[in-house]
Amino acid sequence: MTVLNLSDELGDASRARLAELADVLIPGGSGLPSASAADVAGQWINRVLAAHAGLAEAVAQVLAIPGAPDEVLRNLDREAFETFAFAVAGAYFMNPTVRNALGYPGIAPRRMPSAEGEAEYYLEDGILNPVIERGPIYRQAPA
Amino acid sequence: MGSKQDHTDVLIVGAGTSAGIAAKHLAEAGFTVVCLEQGTWVDPGNLPGNKPEYEILGAGNWHPDPNVRGRREDYPLDHSEADLPVWMYNGVGGSSVLYGGIWARALPSDFRVRSLDGVADDWPISYDELLPYYQAVEREMSVAGEAHNPAYPPGFEPPLPAAPIHRTGQIMAEGMNKLGWHWWPGTNSIPTVNRASGEGQCVRYGVCRMGCPEAAKSSTDVTHLRDAVALGAQVVTRARVARVTLDEHGRANGAVYFRDGVEHFQSASLVIMAAGGIGTPRLLLMSTSERFPDGLANSSGLVGKRLMLHPYGAAVGVYSDDLENWLGPAGEHIGSMQFYETDPSRGFVRGAKWSLLPIAGPLEAAEKWTHPLSLAGEEMWGDGSAGRMQDFVRMLQWHVIPEDLPEETNAVSLHPTLTDSDGLPAAKVRYRVAENTRKIVDFNLARALEAHQAAGATKSWVAGRNFMTGHNTGTAKMGNDPATSVVDRFGRTHDVPNLYIIDASVFTTSTGVNPTATICALAKRTATYIASNARSQEVAS
Repeated sequence: MTVLNLSDELGDASRARLAELADVLIPGGSGLPSASAADVAGQWINRVLAAHAGLAEAVAQVLAIPGAPDEVLRNLDREAFETFAFAVAGAYFMNPTVRNALGYPGIAPRRMPSAEGEAEYYLEDGILNPVIERGPIYRQAPA
Repeated sequence: MGSKQDHTDVLIVGAGTSAGIAAKHLAEAGFTVVCLEQGTWVDPGNLPGNKPEYEILGAGNWHPDPNVRGRREDYPLDHSEADLPVWMYNGVGGSSVLYGGIWARALPSDFRVRSLDGVADDWPISYDELLPYYQAVEREMSVAGEAHNPAYPPGFEPPLPAAPIHRTGQIMAEGMNKLGWHWWPGTNSIPTVNRASGEGQCVRYGVCRMGCPEAAKSSTDVTHLRDAVALGAQVVTRARVARVTLDEHGRANGAVYFRDGVEHFQSASLVIMAAGGIGTPRLLLMSTSERFPDGLANSSGLVGKRLMLHPYGAAVGVYSDDLENWLGPAGEHIGSMQFYETDPSRGFVRGAKWSLLPIAGPLEAAEKWTHPLSLAGEEMWGDGSAGRMQDFVRMLQWHVIPEDLPEETNAVSLHPTLTDSDGLPAAKVRYRVAENTRKIVDFNLARALEAHQAAGATKSWVAGRNFMTGHNTGTAKMGNDPATSVVDRFGRTHDVPNLYIIDASVFTTSTGVNPTATICALAKRTATYIASNARSQEVAS
């Protein structure tokens, strides 16, 4: 995996610009941090671009557009907007604090094998009985 | 021509889903087998699903669209004239590496759509003829599920116990019961107990469609091809077949392939095509000769035509509680066949299978708002986005997979200018969603929204449609008449007596279910036929 050093490629000013733009998309609230507070423009965008270098050009193009952040994003074509938003959101959701606040376990999917009797537990109150009692629903076909 | 490899009894073009079934079966039967595979083996440890970047990697180097992955082994696809892109994985295990593992036999009616509904064609085989092969591959693929699903004829008894339906399935099942609609615990080729070969059972990462980091999900690289190699079969990776060749009598006698830019020839007594619903017609069309100027085994003119893709739709609901909707398998938690069979009052023929699937992570959840065809009615990002994010783990999603009927205008052809990394023609895919298919999806999405309401959703919407499935079927039709089909009832091409096709190309119609069970059963049936009839089989000179 290529690790991009955005502080070299884009500079601190561009990183600050990314934080401004990202906050328009993800202003936070309801117990969730804003994009800038979640350090989207720091280590997390680095992780995103290292995993998917193909996003870097689209992000850089948006950062190069002058103007008020909300206007810049409003004027992007759909593909450019979606790609930029995907990169920002990917960075935001990789932050473990955000991931935990949203209800996802750990920093990534983790092993959670089913417990003994777990499958039976969900069926033991007869929840399948109405389906069984209605009988076959398939259509007979000629041989 | 470059180097010539040792002769083999059976050459299989590809090492994917169907190839795995056949390679193991034929190696066990004592044949020498060579698989030529343009991709490589997958190391489960390299799969993205248990890494923090999993959803980013799943949208890049592990994306199901080969144009997005853009790996050396991914031949380009021009889908500028298609309503949806095409999904596939090019590597050992094929698309079973990235499939969800939903295991669904076709229904008896699927094999008789002409007789029952007056559309398309009947298959030359029936459900009952395929039944013993379904049963055999269900053991080989460690299929887990609840027995006696009333959507199927008696006797559907998956060999392993079903996975938990989880809170997600329970909530939805209660809603389906209120409506009096069919549902059933999910049936998946994802083992719920450890395999004898050592791989563990499903640990519910919920990332099956990015490949299983545990090697628990049954993909044929895990379930068959390792065993085939142990039995003596060769899997030649990074080997891109350029054309299948014929002897002077018109029998297939091998294939020319490129490996690291060097041309090789593999000679064989018998050739099996297993390159998938796009790759197989592409290669047949590339294999022209004086005898077959329009492509190998293409006297019917149907090679590449009748492409069916199962463009599916999704309906989501938001519920009051955290449903842990990220928990696997993914795979389905529950399924429904309530609207599978034809009801003429609906204004269309055939129907759809529903699957209730987990949502692997926050980026997939966000797509329920951001998909271009989502009817969420509000933007995901900006003011209020925090509230929408808090709904992510409270969502349930139904996927509805429609039966897609064949049309000759939906087709795979060779691109006139675009090429792969070896200079071979790329595939051009033309595909438009048919009116009947659109009506099936419309009707079933409307019913799925009703199911969400019955299950207690506070909000529900259509989250998109025309999603790619990887169910690339129909491009080398199976039939009895050589004038209107490419292969016979055993998968042998009508034109070349020792050339077989075993992938989803041969589907006479697409059925309305996930195709892997039928792909595997057909491959098992053809491999069994080849092994049982070896003495009378014509072979290359």
